[in-house]
Amino acid sequence: MEFLSLITPLFLSLVIGGTFVGIIFGAIPGMTATMAVAVCLPLTYSLGLENGMALLLGLYVGGISGGLVPAILLGIPGTPSSITTTFDGYPLAQRGEGEKALRIGICSSFVGGVISLAALYFFAPTLADFAIEFSYVEKFLIILFALTVMAALSSDMLMGIFSGFLGIFVALIGVYDISDGGNGKLRLIPPGTEYWLDSGFSLLPVLIGLFGLAAILDQAELGVPKGQSREDIKIGKGSSFSFSVFKGQFVNLIRSSGIGTFVGILPGVGGSAASILAYSNAKTFSKHPETFGKGEPAGLIASESGNNGLTGGALVPLLSLGIPGDSTTALLIGAFTLQGIQVGPLFIGNNPETWNAMIFAMLVANIAMFVMMYGAIRYFALVVTVPKHVLFPIILMMCVIGAYTINYGIMFDVWTLLIFGVFGWAAVKLGLEIAPFIIGFILGPSAEVYFVKSLESFGDLTIFFTKSWIAGVLWVLILGSLAGSVYMSRRQAKATDADGG
Amino acid sequence: MGSLTQVTIDFEQSHLLFPTLIGGILLTLGLAIVVTRRRRIATAGAYWRGILSRMDRLRLLGTLALTVLYFSLMVPVGDLWPNTGLGFLICSIPYVLATGLLYMHEWPAKQVAIMLAIAVIGPGLVWWLFAEIFFLTLP
Repeated sequence: MEFLSLITPLFLSLVIGGTFVGIIFGAIPGMTATMAVAVCLPLTYSLGLENGMALLLGLYVGGISGGLVPAILLGIPGTPSSITTTFDGYPLAQRGEGEKALRIGICSSFVGGVISLAALYFFAPTLADFAIEFSYVEKFLIILFALTVMAALSSDMLMGIFSGFLGIFVALIGVYDISDGGNGKLRLIPPGTEYWLDSGFSLLPVLIGLFGLAAILDQAELGVPKGQSREDIKIGKGSSFSFSVFKGQFVNLIRSSGIGTFVGILPGVGGSAASILAYSNAKTFSKHPETFGKGEPAGLIASESGNNGLTGGALVPLLSLGIPGDSTTALLIGAFTLQGIQVGPLFIGNNPETWNAMIFAMLVANIAMFVMMYGAIRYFALVVTVPKHVLFPIILMMCVIGAYTINYGIMFDVWTLLIFGVFGWAAVKLGLEIAPFIIGFILGPSAEVYFVKSLESFGDLTIFFTKSWIAGVLWVLILGSLAGSVYMSRRQAKATDADGG
Repeated sequence: MGSLTQVTIDFEQSHLLFPTLIGGILLTLGLAIVVTRRRRIATAGAYWRGILSRMDRLRLLGTLALTVLYFSLMVPVGDLWPNTGLGFLICSIPYVLATGLLYMHEWPAKQVAIMLAIAVIGPGLVWWLFAEIFFLTLP
C-alpha cells in the first residue's frame, strides 16, 4: 500500500482533468484519444512519471469513451473505435432516444473499462514474470509475432507487413549504438545529414507528427468541415433511460468486454477491431440479429463495452513485454522514455508503486468518466459544436511545443514532426498502415539488438527454432497468424466474388 | 546442413547486418505488392485524380505553407531575444490567427475578432505556462 503516498490531490486532479479533456477530444469528430495523448505528452515532462501517467491514462480512457457522443448523435464515429456504435446508436438518436442511447453507451463503456482493468491487474504481472526468463531469441520472436499479428489483422496483410518492416527500417537510421552492444557506426544516412540524423528520428516527434499533424492535414484536405450546429443534435428530450435495458445483456456485456480486452492484448490492433469483433459476435449470438443496425441496444452495448475493454488490454503487452497494444499505448512508451524508464518484463517488479498507481489511475479514470458523462451528458453533447477552426491551430501549436521540448530544444525534432505529419497523411492514401509502422518503428532497435546478439552468441540460424520450447510455440503462433490471415482474406475474396457475381 | 546455417558476424560490419536484412525483406515485399496489385497500380491514375479533385487545395497547401513558414521563422526570431521563448510566442500569434482564418468558412467581423483574441491569448497562455512555470526550453 506504499503507492497510496503517490495518490495526492494533484494526482487525482490530473486523472479527472485528463479524463475530462479526453472526453472532449473523443467527442469531436476528427480528434482522437491518440491525438489527446500526443498533444499532452510534453506536459508530463514536468509532472514526473506517476503524475504524468495519471494525466495520460485519464486522457486515454476519456478519449476512447468520448467517441460515443458524435457516433450516437451525428452518426459520425468520434474515434475509429466507435464505428460500430453508429450502427445502432444513431438510429436510436434518430428515434428521439439520443439520451437513452448515450447512457447505455456510457454504462457499457464503464463495464468494459473495469473488466479490462481487472484483466490488466491480474494478467500483466503473470506474463511479465514469465517473460523475465526470455532470452534474446525469444524476445526477437515475440517482436516478430507482434508484427505478424498486426499484419494479419490489418485490412491488407501484405501492406500491413510492409508497413511494419518499413517502420523497423526507418528506426534503424542513425548510429548502431555502443550502449546496445553495437559498433557505434552510422548507417542509412544520406550524405550531409549526419549532424541531424546521428541518433536517428526521435520517437516522440514522430508520434506527434503521425497522430497530431497528420490528422489535421486530413481535415484540411477535407476543407475543415464546419462544426455541427445545436439543431443537428438530437439528444431527445424525455427519452427515458432505465438500467432494465441491461436485463438479459449480462453475457453480451461480459463477452464483449472480454473480446475488447483480448484484442487489446494483441499488439498493434486498434479499438476498431475490438468493437467490430464484439459487435459481430453479439449479432451472431442474438436471438434477433435482424434488429441489429436498426437501433438495437444490444449492438450498442457490445460496441462500447468492446472498445473500452481495449483500454486495459492494450496495457498488458506494454507493461509486461514492452510492446504497445495499440497506437495510444505506443505514445505511453514515449512518456516512459521522457522519464528515462524502460518498460519491459522487469518494469512491474522493479516499480511496484508506479504499477499500482497506474492501476489506481485507470480505476479513477473509469469512475470519473462514468460520473461525468452520465451526469452531464447533455453538456458533453454540445462539445460536437465546438468550431474546429479554433481548436486545430491551437493543437498545431501544441504539437510544436511537444516536439521541441522533448530533447531540450532541438529544432530538427520540429522538422521531424512535419516530415512524419506529411508522411502519415500520405501513407494512408498509399495503402500503408500506420499502426504496424509505428510499432515497427518503436520495436525496430530492440529487434536488431536481439537478432544480432543471438547470432553473435550462438553463431547459428537454427537457434531461432531450437533455443527452447517457447521459441517453438512462438513459431507456431507466427505461422498460425499468417495462415489465418491468408485464409480469411481468401474467404473474403470469395464472398466478394459471390456478391459481385 | 550445419555449415549452411552457421553465421559469423564481423563486429566492424555488424551495423549493416540488420538494415541489409530488413532492406531485403522490404524489397521482396514491395515486389510482391507490385505483382499482386499490378491491375490496381495500372489504374491508379484515376484514384489519384479522384483524390486531387476532392482535395481542398487552399486549406491543405495553405496549412503546409504556413507551417513551413512558422517553423522557419521561429529560430531566427527567437535569436533576437535568446533564452526567452519569445521566438515561439511572436511567431505563434500570427500562425494561429492565419490558420484559424484559413479554416473558417465565413469571416464575419465578430468571428474574426474572437479568432484574433484566441490567437493572442492561446499562445500567450501556453508560453507563460511552459516558459515561466515549467521552465521548458522554447525557441
